[in-house]
Amino acid sequence: MSSFFRMDPAETCDPLSNFEPAEYDTELERALAEDPIAEIDAKPYLQISPHASVLEAVEMLHDSGAASLLVVDGEHLVGIFTERDVLEKVVEKYPRVCGQPVENFMTTNPTIVYQSDPSAAAAAAIAVAGHRHVPVLDMDECVQGVISPKRMFAFMQKHF
Amino acid sequence: MSFKEQLSREQIRTLPLRDAIALDEHTVARAAIALMRTHSLGCAVIVDPGCRPQGIFNEQSIIRMLMAGVSLDTTAISAFADPDVGIVRADDPILFAWQAVVDQGHRFLCVTDDEGYLIGLTGQRGLAEYVCDCYAKQIAVQRLGSAPWMLQREGA
Repeated sequence: MSSFFRMDPAETCDPLSNFEPAEYDTELERALAEDPIAEIDAKPYLQISPHASVLEAVEMLHDSGAASLLVVDGEHLVGIFTERDVLEKVVEKYPRVCGQPVENFMTTNPTIVYQSDPSAAAAAAIAVAGHRHVPVLDMDECVQGVISPKRMFAFMQKHF
Repeated sequence: MSFKEQLSREQIRTLPLRDAIALDEHTVARAAIALMRTHSLGCAVIVDPGCRPQGIFNEQSIIRMLMAGVSLDTTAISAFADPDVGIVRADDPILFAWQAVVDQGHRFLCVTDDEGYLIGLTGQRGLAEYVCDCYAKQIAVQRLGSAPWMLQREGA
């Protein structure tokens, strides 16, 4: 059986000999397709424990002026709590729920991107899926930041 | 043509505009919030009797209200609205909207006609959708989800 894998060196050829690298019409097309999300400014970001109260979360949003909090247990993302969650789930019953843990009102399983994904993946999460805040993880699933439309546009503007 | 040239040539009326929630300044917060939830929209625009934008009541206004501890049933939206409204005209170049969002930090932009009459709403979302249309070959093909791509593969 070992001879099965034996090849005549004259018959071998470079499997990448026909490879043609992608061509782009503009620098922005190239950046979206090839530059990793790590190139996009994803910091600063705020995080909160899932066991923190809604009151603490609203205070953090108020004091920081940020629009989202990443809900992190240990080092791992378990959800995201945004201004939209306040509008949809909290504001009309705030006096009753402000002492409850934020994990009861956060958005679970948010759409995430990895630092090594192409930057177009973050644009897709914003434009196609309609998310305003897209958490960025590294390959160990640890939180590295959050991308907003403004940060995405700022990245694009560098490649105009 | 570069993207910046494209932004300079095309008009804001070509962006996907959303219907705005236009309200009187005396509207109470609970009513405005109910409308924002119904329309899945993060803001309501305060307009004068001529339907010209005067202020914007948005999700940050709601956070400020909660921290102030005021009643949703008796507080007018004007008390917590932001008077710094981003306003663009429908025949302005899209570049104006881009600059208002990226440089001035507006999330929503009120789109008006030549008379200043509110005709719609755009902003971060409208621009993001426009970018996606322009670069569909790069953006629209991306996988999305809350799991790593290797767990999202379909088929054999």
